[in-house]
Amino acid sequence: GAGGPLARTIRAKLTAALQPTHLEVRNDSPRHGGPPGAETHFGVLVVSGRFAGLPLLQRHRLVHEALRAELAGPLHALQVIARTPQQWQSDPRAPPAPPCLGGSKR
Amino acid sequence: QPLCGFSNAVVQILRLHGVEDYRAHDVLQDPDLRQGIKNYSNWPTIPQVYLNGEFVGGCDILLQMHQNGDLVEELKKLGIRSALLDAEKDQEKK
Repeated sequence: GAGGPLARTIRAKLTAALQPTHLEVRNDSPRHGGPPGAETHFGVLVVSGRFAGLPLLQRHRLVHEALRAELAGPLHALQVIARTPQQWQSDPRAPPAPPCLGGSKR
Repeated sequence: QPLCGFSNAVVQILRLHGVEDYRAHDVLQDPDLRQGIKNYSNWPTIPQVYLNGEFVGGCDILLQMHQNGDLVEELKKLGIRSALLDAEKDQEKK
């Protein structure tokens, strides 16, 4: 599969936890000053029927729960877009991630 | 001025709504706060947005609330009139 070990773990855990109909896992680490191979900043787009009836906060908590170990470890930042299949069908777009401003490296 | 693009996005959204009177805490200056707030909200990342003491979510959630009008409503509940409402009024006058 595409991506490094953490990308594959994220994909596998989100697939198992949320049975998504559509899943995108994006490694943003290079955009945040990471060296080649860095896996610290990710963005995920998860389309799942499991989100139906849930407010955004609960949807994001489901995603975080699936990635609890990673978020306690190397995963430093996680952008989350969580949509139901109906929402995704009516608007298959996701906003771009905000640019890096350097963080604690500045 | 935030050092993080995600935190800056939150600041910019609040600015769009004319909200300048809020407390901001720089977790890069305070490692205890950085971990403590994650424990408190059971939320693994920074930034964290609280409205009237209630945890609302991070940058992604605030952005969606801004885009779907929910943020204007939540600010109204706090007695804050979003600047975007006045911007819309100006639009209608033209």
